[in-house]
Amino acid sequence: MGDIKRLDFELLEELLEGIEKPGRYINKEIGTKSKNLGLPEDFSGMVFMALVFPDIYEVGMSNLGIQIIYDIVNKYKDFSVERVFSPWVDFEKKLKDCNVKIFSLENRIFLDCFDLVGFSVQHEMLYTNILNILDLGGINAHSEQRGENTPLVGAGGSAVVNPQPLSKFMDFFVIGDGEEVVVDILKKVKIYKKNNKSKSWLLKEISRLDGVYVPRFYKFYYYKNGLIKKFEPCKKVKKAVVRKLDKFNVVTDPIIPNIRTVHDRYIVEIMRGCWRGCRFCQAGIIYRPVRKREVESLIKQSVSGIKNTGYDEISFLSLSSSDYEKIEHLVEGVTGALKSKRLSISMPSMRLNSFNLRFLELIQSGRKTGLTFAPEAGTQRMRDIINKNIKEDEMLECIKMAFGKGWEKIKLYFMIGLPFENEQDIKGIVELVEKIINVARNEVPGRKLRRLKINISINAFCPKPFTPFQWVGLESPESLKKKFSYILSNTPKRYINIKWSDPERSLIESALSRGSELLCDVIENAWKNGAKFDNWSDFFNFGIWEKAFKNSGVDISLFTTRNFPVDEILPWDVIDIRVKKSSLLKEYEKSGKYV
Amino acid sequence: MFNVMIRFKFYKKDEFKYLSHLDISRIIIRALNRAGFNPVYSQGYNPRPKISFSNPTPLGVESFAEYGDVSIENNIEEEDFKKRINMELKEEIQVTEARKVPVKIDSLMSQIDISLYIFVLDTGNSGKARQEKFYKGIVGLIRKSDFSDSIFDLKKVTSGKATNIILLKLFGYAKIFKEKDNRIFKFNSFYLFLGDLLEKYGIKINDVKKEELFVIKGKSLKTPIEII
Repeated sequence: MGDIKRLDFELLEELLEGIEKPGRYINKEIGTKSKNLGLPEDFSGMVFMALVFPDIYEVGMSNLGIQIIYDIVNKYKDFSVERVFSPWVDFEKKLKDCNVKIFSLENRIFLDCFDLVGFSVQHEMLYTNILNILDLGGINAHSEQRGENTPLVGAGGSAVVNPQPLSKFMDFFVIGDGEEVVVDILKKVKIYKKNNKSKSWLLKEISRLDGVYVPRFYKFYYYKNGLIKKFEPCKKVKKAVVRKLDKFNVVTDPIIPNIRTVHDRYIVEIMRGCWRGCRFCQAGIIYRPVRKREVESLIKQSVSGIKNTGYDEISFLSLSSSDYEKIEHLVEGVTGALKSKRLSISMPSMRLNSFNLRFLELIQSGRKTGLTFAPEAGTQRMRDIINKNIKEDEMLECIKMAFGKGWEKIKLYFMIGLPFENEQDIKGIVELVEKIINVARNEVPGRKLRRLKINISINAFCPKPFTPFQWVGLESPESLKKKFSYILSNTPKRYINIKWSDPERSLIESALSRGSELLCDVIENAWKNGAKFDNWSDFFNFGIWEKAFKNSGVDISLFTTRNFPVDEILPWDVIDIRVKKSSLLKEYEKSGKYV
Repeated sequence: MFNVMIRFKFYKKDEFKYLSHLDISRIIIRALNRAGFNPVYSQGYNPRPKISFSNPTPLGVESFAEYGDVSIENNIEEEDFKKRINMELKEEIQVTEARKVPVKIDSLMSQIDISLYIFVLDTGNSGKARQEKFYKGIVGLIRKSDFSDSIFDLKKVTSGKATNIILLKLFGYAKIFKEKDNRIFKFNSFYLFLGDLLEKYGIKINDVKKEELFVIKGKSLKTPIEII
């Protein structure tokens, strides 16, 4: 706001002395599109937006959403969006020690000089990082305490479908697809800036847009025990939906990071949404309806993306890539057009069976990277309860074929603490793993068998808003620990590598995802006591969070282990996700039929 | 198919001095792809483009003498190679020379013996006398030291009124970990060697740059391009 203040290169050089991976902070990638800043009069009418990803550069630059929004907004001549990521702890300390505010990568504009600061929030464990970045930018964390001359602060992304735990910190939220609504918001900001309108005028204006939730226009009333009595007005905010994905082209000239990122490849979204209806899965509901890109233009754009970026790997992204009917045509089209090039193709979230294993072998052209299966549960009964449509014999058949064809790395995903779970379901996980080992013994030659590793990842089921299981309580960490140690001590050590999610982290995660406004104080308290990067296991500190709940007088069990009665008013009831609550309830009831 | 190997020299300056050896390698490979060159890939389980580079430059040090060898499937003229790849690279990293390698040669890492570093020392506004004193001190120290052979150049720079810059060019082992004898300076021991003196006179190191790399040919030094 007001004058644009920037960090000069010489000072950056001083700051970067002795900093780990300085390439994170230097910009200068190919594909950046923020406006060049010449004279002040050149950008006097411009609206500046900071697009903030509250994790480190390597993670943020692997996120397709960031690339999409960045591309769309920067196409407008009056808007300029620049990136901001969480600094790593060494650089954060340096900034604080030198009294320098956090700045954007492109033009090194200090965060508090932007008109709009927009956070992209992918999961709940990043909430403390958000407060940290605001603090590093010299921006008051509390929406109400930010005056007229401070940037507008908002958040979007899949985590904020339940905006309540961040509601005190944000002026607004974007629920759903951001492509259209972000531009609509920026158009209003332009008027606001040009005509010197007030912030409340601006918030009123944008609150009329689909997908925009402005917390200050809502009031929640509570019972003594902390549960919601009612909220006013009872008008819900409708999720923003882009009807046709093809309305926006694939980003064929994305930013190409200079340093290695988590997903260092060209990413193309082929489909949004998933019709499978796994009852624990939040993405399956909040990204509805299923929308596919048209295959021929997808081929053309993928090819030009590969040529523009120089990547030798392309990733076809969706929630379930094998459900894109024309996937083979897509792959053939792209590889055919790029015959002379080396190109490897990756397909995250592919549901493997013996049919598409052949396909996978073809596209990996001899390179046998790991195979991932997500049976999620150990028994058919449990898989029916969660509606995970994977049959054991089909899966074993596919694994048998994979071993026979020379794959050596297999990864399996399971969840424990699922609703209606009993002892047999936990035993079932162990038995399934044993069956897989037996397949391996028969299929893998002795010399190779010795180095066989099956990686098993066990996560605690965390109930998420807008799923059929949103009412189900999290299992207590003690019980989860018992179940996990049963699995650990009953699976053969030899071929198995087991990783599991810390149940105490799951406890905090589920409080943050099913939490109400009451969580704002908890998050702030935890952050003040040093919580950040809570998604990193070596940073997560349960003690800090326990204390934060205590200090804020919030009973954690209210949001975690407690089963919510189905007629209770939920914190996220203020959002219309475009799937009826009654349909979710029906699905929940259906799951009970298998018990 | 006609494969050709090209040895090229490039610089990395300004922001790009903060990128590591591996980062630069990925950046160059992607630039080759974008320029429409097809790098030759190695055989085996995990095929990689056949590209190799000269010894890593420490992070944060600008370099005007980075070298790379790459095999590509295109028959192309040296100037054309240079032009096309430079169009795909930021201005902070540009190829300055390219030459086809006609016969099989040793890798850059094993060929290069010596690197030349420039240190730009700032004596501050402490006046001419102080600069003189420091200058004499450093000369004395280096001349007496074990690696007196290392000095390539040592001079005061005067531009206009300013007389506060001393340019020190030092030869160093290219192979940082190779211990032959102590007569040649190693980059890692720069502060160990000059640290006290810098502190005593309050001298700031304004800049460090890698200027050139050399191969010892008989009694003379040749650049990696010259020996082709």
